[in-house]
Amino acid sequence: MDILDKKMIVIAIKNLKDSFRRWEYYLFSLGFPIMFTFLFYFILGSQGISNGLSSFDYGFPGMIIYATSVGTVSAAIGFASDKSSGMLERLDTMPTGRKNVFLGSLISESITLTLQIIIMFVLGYVILGVYFNNLLGLLIGFLVSLLFGISAVGMGIIIASVSKTPQIANGFSLMYYLPILFISGSLMPFESPIVYFTPPYWAKQVYMQITVMGHGLEEQLYSSSLIGYTAEAIPIPIWGGVLIIFGFTLIFIILGIIIFQKKTKF
Amino acid sequence: MSNTVIEKSTVIEIQNIKKHFKDIKAVDGVSLNIQKGELFSILGPNGAGKSTLARLLTTVLTPTSGDATIKGHSIKTGKSSIIKLIGVCPQEIVIYDILTAEENVIFVAQMHDIPFKKAKEKAKTLLEKLDIGGRKIWAKKFSGGMKRRLNLIMALVHEPEILFLDEPTAGLDPQARRIVWDFIRDLKNKGVTIVLMTHDMIEADSLSDHVAIIDHGKIIAQGSPTELKEKHGSENVIEITFSEKEDLNIVKNQCDNISSVNNYNVIGERTLLISFKGGMKNFIEIFQKLILVENINDVETMNFRQNTLEDVFLNLTGRRLRD
Ligand SMILES: Nc1ncnc2c1ncn2[C@@H]1O[C@H](COP(=O)(O)OP(=O)(O)OP(=O)(O)O)[C@@H](O)[C@H]1O
Ligand SMILES: [Mg+2]
Repeated sequence: MDILDKKMIVIAIKNLKDSFRRWEYYLFSLGFPIMFTFLFYFILGSQGISNGLSSFDYGFPGMIIYATSVGTVSAAIGFASDKSSGMLERLDTMPTGRKNVFLGSLISESITLTLQIIIMFVLGYVILGVYFNNLLGLLIGFLVSLLFGISAVGMGIIIASVSKTPQIANGFSLMYYLPILFISGSLMPFESPIVYFTPPYWAKQVYMQITVMGHGLEEQLYSSSLIGYTAEAIPIPIWGGVLIIFGFTLIFIILGIIIFQKKTKF
Repeated sequence: MSNTVIEKSTVIEIQNIKKHFKDIKAVDGVSLNIQKGELFSILGPNGAGKSTLARLLTTVLTPTSGDATIKGHSIKTGKSSIIKLIGVCPQEIVIYDILTAEENVIFVAQMHDIPFKKAKEKAKTLLEKLDIGGRKIWAKKFSGGMKRRLNLIMALVHEPEILFLDEPTAGLDPQARRIVWDFIRDLKNKGVTIVLMTHDMIEADSLSDHVAIIDHGKIIAQGSPTELKEKHGSENVIEITFSEKEDLNIVKNQCDNISSVNNYNVIGERTLLISFKGGMKNFIEIFQKLILVENINDVETMNFRQNTLEDVFLNLTGRRLRD
């Protein structure tokens, strides 16, 4: 079984064509990060905290993670639509391979995600002047949020695999996405060991410590508090956090391929 | 057009297959053998179980019990081998709305490992053949009939040896229907084994080598169209629609006294179908006895025709294929 099947790419390209040709795509998928960034800026931008930094500077990493998590919902809806239109059933009567359908969709959704992150980065760091310590840190922050976003998309496709209609997929993905953002402490501080079981916690924490505090990969991670300086260190280095995010992403992809092959019945 | 020279070999063997959805027995113990190169129609009314049978044979659904083999591969265990042999045209139109016709066909071809360049050529030829070529607009802007034909092309761009067509001409105008029929005949002449699900008796009659009639998930008769018409009905049919329903009863009771009448069926309240043997002579006899002797009010329509598969179905079930 070859991992890099050409069909997967063909499917991804088809998905992207399908997206780029719709005006809704520009409004929702690309307009959303713009709206979101400005919303955050107007709410938090004027609240100074310390060291000349505002709440916006501190909140921005969490916001990026929050926004990329929406990938779960949009992937779930998109994928479930293919299912309810009969297209998945049709692909199933061809030598397509469900693995290729899954990975192809993962690729196209991840490309959309990349565009969304780039939009927020340009708006935040270039236009609104969000604080960042150094460029290398920013690059790591970008990769971490992308990696995390891919896991969110994977989760969305898994949810769609077990949902009969786009409406059900929408409901289930919101039921996953909203609670997990709160219990991960990404948006508001949440002091509880539960956070360690949620992917967004690790993503936000690594991203924030690297870009805002200028930590290196070998430094200790902090516990869940949104404002890193007051939080306690936990015995895991930042690169360990990156590994954990990577692990979550890998698990979601493998789980996705397995669940999608077994559970998509008509 | 008979294939007497070619040795018969069974490509699809269906053994007592059942598919139940809770208490709905969609397919309820079907056994059939389909020969290589033949056009085999499954004819039946709405809800008879045609699509469910098609979805079972194309490995989309797993049977509740029983099995079927396609070239020796079980539909339960041989999915990966079967999907390389078959082409499937679903009853619903399943196309990508935001792609052009050509892009849709090329995409499907690529799923069958046909390289892009070859796929593009094939797409062009096929689209032209079915009269929807050269359009750069998105499929969603196509007319229903154009979408239907695109749906069909996507089933066979990879030149499968076995083709499943689930109502490929539903909603087409007569001209487009003829184009598709000629196209299907062409495929058959090239040796493709075709399984056609339809509720259109003219379609089944004019295209098929073999017809199996399905009703409530069961096969109630099968044979060549001629065999079926000979076996289940007589040569000719008079169909009368009366203006008054009382007249129907008067005429109906008379039928029992006429020897050339084989049987009759009442449809709705005012339509009577009389099957009889013999030609014009008997027709005139029946006509005189029934219509002229009895003083009945008026007849809305009356026609005299040859027995069709519709009549076969009616004789078997007491119902029409449609309505
Ligand atoms: N997924 C399903 N769940 C429950 N019932 C189903 C399902 N699919 C089909 N049925 C039922 O099975 C029966 C047969 O349906 P099927 O679609 O096979 O009929 P059909 O002969 O193709 O009819 P038509 O000519 O209308 O397409 C119907 O009563 C239908 O409601
Ligand atoms: Mg059907």
